[in-house]
Amino acid sequence: MDAVQFLQNFLNGISIGSVYAIFALGYTLVFSILGIINFAHGAVFTLGAYLTYSMAVGQFGIGGLLAGLQLPFQFSFTLSLLIGAIISGLAGVLVERIAFRPLRSRGADPLLALVSSLGVALVTVNIIQYLVGSENYSFPSDVYGDIKPAFMFHIGSRIVAIRTVQIIIFAVSMLVLALLGYFINFTRIGKALRAVAENASTASLLGINVDRFILYTFFLSGFLGGMAGSLVGTSFGIAGPYFGVTYGLKGLAVIVMGGLGSVPGAVLGGLVIGLAEAFVPADYSAYKEAVAFAFLFAVLLVRPQGLLGRSQLQKV
Amino acid sequence: MRKSVVMTLLLTICAGSAYAERTASPIPIGIAVAQTSNVALFGQEQFIGAKIAEKYFNKSGINGTPIKLVLQDTGGDEAGAINAFQNLINKEKVVGIVGPTLSQQAFSADPIANRMKVPVLGPSNTAKGIPQIGDFVGRVSAPVAKVAPNALKQALKQNPKIKKVAVLYAQNDAYSTSETGTFQEAVKSHQLQMVTLQKFMTTDTDFTTQATAVLGANVDLVIISGLAADGGNLVKQLRQLGYKGIIIGGNGFNTANVFPVCGKDCEGILVAQAYSPEANNPTNKAFVADYRAAYKKDPPQFSAQAFAAVQLFAEGLRRVEAKTKKKITQLELPVVRAELNRALRSGPFVTPLGEITLDREGEINQKTFYVSHIKMDANGKTGKFVIVK
Amino acid sequence: MEDFLQNYGFLLVTLVQQSLLAMSMYFPLTAGQLSLASPGFYSLGGYIAAVMATADYFAPWRDALGWMMFPLEWLIAALASALLALLVGIPALRLRGIYLALATIAFVEILRVLCLNLEITGGAIGIFGVPQLFESRWGYIWTFGPLLVITLIFSSRLERSRVGRAFKAIREDELAAGAMGVNPTYYKVLAFVIGAVLAGIVGSMSAPFLNTWNARQGTFDASISYLAYVLIGGGRSLWGPMLGAVLLASLPELLRPLKDARLIINGVVLVIASIYLPQGIVGALRRLKLVTLDRFAVLWGGQ
Repeated sequence: MDAVQFLQNFLNGISIGSVYAIFALGYTLVFSILGIINFAHGAVFTLGAYLTYSMAVGQFGIGGLLAGLQLPFQFSFTLSLLIGAIISGLAGVLVERIAFRPLRSRGADPLLALVSSLGVALVTVNIIQYLVGSENYSFPSDVYGDIKPAFMFHIGSRIVAIRTVQIIIFAVSMLVLALLGYFINFTRIGKALRAVAENASTASLLGINVDRFILYTFFLSGFLGGMAGSLVGTSFGIAGPYFGVTYGLKGLAVIVMGGLGSVPGAVLGGLVIGLAEAFVPADYSAYKEAVAFAFLFAVLLVRPQGLLGRSQLQKV
Repeated sequence: MRKSVVMTLLLTICAGSAYAERTASPIPIGIAVAQTSNVALFGQEQFIGAKIAEKYFNKSGINGTPIKLVLQDTGGDEAGAINAFQNLINKEKVVGIVGPTLSQQAFSADPIANRMKVPVLGPSNTAKGIPQIGDFVGRVSAPVAKVAPNALKQALKQNPKIKKVAVLYAQNDAYSTSETGTFQEAVKSHQLQMVTLQKFMTTDTDFTTQATAVLGANVDLVIISGLAADGGNLVKQLRQLGYKGIIIGGNGFNTANVFPVCGKDCEGILVAQAYSPEANNPTNKAFVADYRAAYKKDPPQFSAQAFAAVQLFAEGLRRVEAKTKKKITQLELPVVRAELNRALRSGPFVTPLGEITLDREGEINQKTFYVSHIKMDANGKTGKFVIVK
Repeated sequence: MEDFLQNYGFLLVTLVQQSLLAMSMYFPLTAGQLSLASPGFYSLGGYIAAVMATADYFAPWRDALGWMMFPLEWLIAALASALLALLVGIPALRLRGIYLALATIAFVEILRVLCLNLEITGGAIGIFGVPQLFESRWGYIWTFGPLLVITLIFSSRLERSRVGRAFKAIREDELAAGAMGVNPTYYKVLAFVIGAVLAGIVGSMSAPFLNTWNARQGTFDASISYLAYVLIGGGRSLWGPMLGAVLLASLPELLRPLKDARLIINGVVLVIASIYLPQGIVGALRRLKLVTLDRFAVLWGGQ
C-alpha cells in the first residue's frame, strides 16, 4: 500500500467511522445514565430520517398506507432536520415512558429492559413500514445547496476523494462531541446528570428529580439519534425501515470499544472501528463485517471498560 | 363394545375426509410471496403484477369460470415460505402456486409442493438447480447467462477505447453471484482488463471503500451486479466521487425502483434486461397499459414476471379444459393439478416477457432479451428505460 | 386428523424445536450467565449436518451408513459445539452481566460472517437440497420430541443434583459461592457448554427439517427471540422456556390473518410481557398459586 492509497483509506476510515460515532453518541448517553442499552435507539434513528425526509421532500412511493402521497408542504432541509430531531427527541421520551419507566418502578431485572426496548423498536419500525412501505427513499442531490458533491485531491496522476456529505457528518459529530462535553462538564444540568449517573438514589436525596433528568437524557439521546439518522440518510439514502436497526448492533461494538457511558469514547470507538474497516485489504473485504465484532470480543477480554471508560470496581 | 363403535366412527370420518374433492369456483391460484421482511418490496411488486393478471384473465375467465388469487405472506425466511405453501395447498386447496420470492425459500418450500403434486411457478427464482427440484417445479425467471454479454457489446460501441474494467457484485445474492461470473467471462473474452473486483452485500449502504477503490484504479467501465437499492446507492456514490465512465448494471437494475435511489446519477446506465416495458407483443401492451393506468409509471420486471406466471396458470387451465373437454370445476383437484402441470410444459406462451416455453424440467426458454439505457427526466426523480438499438 | 397434521404439523414441530432452543439459552441462565450464544452453535450444528449430508467427501460415509448418518451428524455436531464452547467460554465467562452478553453477541456475529464467506458453507447462498430423514414435516416430531423430553428430564435431574445447586449458588451470588469452595469458572463453563451442545444438536436436526441451511439461521435476531422465550415464559423454572417458546413462536402463525399488523403485535407483546410479567408467565402463575410446580416436581422426582 503506498502513500496515496494510505491517505484514501484513512479518509475512508474517518468517513465510515463518523457515521458510527454519530450513531453511538446518543446510544451511549442512555447507558451513562441508566446503565442499560436502549435497543430502541436504532428505531428512533430511523424515525428521524423518515421525518426529515417527509418534511424536506414528502414524496412517498408505492408501499404502505400512505402510498403515492405527496405532502403539500416542503420545508428547507435545515428546518426539516431540526423539527425531525425534536420529534425524535419526543419519541425518545415516549420510549422511556413505555419501555423503561414501568420496569424501573417495579425494580425489575435490567435484562427485561433490553427485551422491552427491543419490542418498542419492532413496533416503531413496523408502523413506519405500514405507513410508507419498505422501499428506498433518497434525498435529492442538492439537499445541502450548491456545494460540490465531493472534494478531490490530485496527487500526481491519481485522485484521492471524499464526499462532501461525509465531511459534514464528521464535522457534525465533532461539534456535537464538543457541545456535549461542555454541557455535561460545565453546566448545572450536566452536573446533575452526572450525579444521577453516579448514583441515582444519592442524587435524589440531594434534591435532584431523578425521573425528570432521565427524561432529559432520553430527549437528548432521541434528538441526537434522529439528527444522526437524517444526516446518514442524506449520505446513503434511507434503505427501508430497518436501516437504523442494523446500526444498533455495530453500535454496541462501538460504545464498548470506546467505553460504555463515555461520550468521547463513543466517537473514538467509532473512528477506530471505521479506520479498521477501511484498512481491510480488498481480498478480505468479505470479513469487514466481522472486524467490529472481533474488536469487541478482544476489548471485552482484555479491557472491558474500553478505551476511555472507567474501570468498574466489583461491588461486594 | 363402545370402544369399537368409537373406532368405527373415527375411521369413517377419516375415510370420509379422503373423499375426492372438486375444484372450487372461482378457481383458486395461490400466490406465496413476501409481504413483510426486507424483501417485502419485491413481493409487493410481484403481488401487483399478479393482481393485474387476475383482472385481465377474468375478463373471460377460464371459459367463463373466474380465477381467484389467494395470497399468503411468506415473510423473508424459509420457515415462512413452508408455512405459506402448506396453508395454500391444504387449507385453500389451490390448483397451483406462484412463488416464492427468494431462491433460498424455493429450495425449502418447493419440495413440499412437489411431494403434494402441486405445480409451482417461481416468478423470480434464478439460482441454479431450481427447476430440477422436482417434476412439479418450474420458473418463468430466466437464468440470465444470456443477457450479460450484450450489455458489454453496447458499452464497447459507446466507447471503443475501453481498456480497464472494474467489476462489483453483491456476494450474498445468489443471482448476482452467478451473473457476475458471466460478466467476468465476457470481459475476458473481449480482451479487456479487469483491474479490480469488489464485493459488497445487498444490505450495505456505505460504499466508500468500493467506490474509492474504483476511482483509484482509473477504470473506463464499471460493471455492477446487485439489486436496486444497493446497486443504485453504489452508482450514486461513484458518481458523486467523480467517476465519469460508463456503468453497466446487471438485471437487478432492471426496475424503476432504482430511480429514486440514484436520481440524476442514474442517467446513462446500461442495463441488461430480461423484461422491457417497450417489448412489442399484445399481452405486454395490455399489461403495460393496465399498470400505467393504476400506478403512473412503467411496470418493473418483478411485476411482469408475476403476471407471466399467473398467465401460464390461467392459459394452462384453458388448455386443460380444451384437452379433457370438461370444465375445471367438474374435475377432481388432484387431476387438475396434474393436468395443469402438464399444460404448463405443453408449448409456447406469449407473455409480457415475450414468447416463452417451459421445458420438461420446468426451466424457462426465453427468446428475447434487451439492453436499455436509463434516461432520467428533468426533475431527477422519474425516468425510463430506452432500448438501445 | 390427516388434514390437521398436514396443515399444522410443521408448526407443531417448529414449536418443539423453538422450545429446545429456548432451553439452550436457559441452561447458562441457571448459573446466572446471560449468554446470547445459542444461535451460533445452532448454526454450527446445522452446517455440520448439511455438509455431512451433501458434500462429496462424505458420500462413501453416507452410502455405508444409510439412515445412521443422521445420528452420526448429531454426535459430531454435539462434539464440535462442546469444543467450540470450551474454546470461547473459558476466556469469555470471566466476564459478568452485560459484558458477557456482549461477548456472546460478538461471537455470534463473527461466526455468522465466517459462515457467510467460507467455501465449505456455501458462502452467502448456503447449502441446499439437504436430504430428508422423514417424508413429511410432521415426521420430525420423532427427532425433536424425544430430544425435548430427554432435555426436560435432564434439566429436572440437574436442578436437584450437586451441579444444579452449584449453579444456583453462583446465580445468587458468585463471590459468596466462590468463597464457599464452589469453583465458579468451572460451573459457568459447564452450564455454557451444556447450552451449546443442546443448540448444536438441535441445529443438526434442523438442517434436514428445513431442507436448506444458510448464515441467516445464526443471527442476533434469533438470540433475542430465544431470550424473549425464556424471559416471558419464566427464567426460573424449567417449564418457563418451553411455555414462552410455544406462545411466542405460534404468535406469527396465529396472527397470520392480521397480516401487516402481525409484527407490530409481536413487538407489543414483548413490551407488555416484559413489563407485567417480570418473572415470566410461570413466575406469575406461581405467585398466584395457580400451579405449584414445585409440588408437582416433588411428586415426580421423589425428593
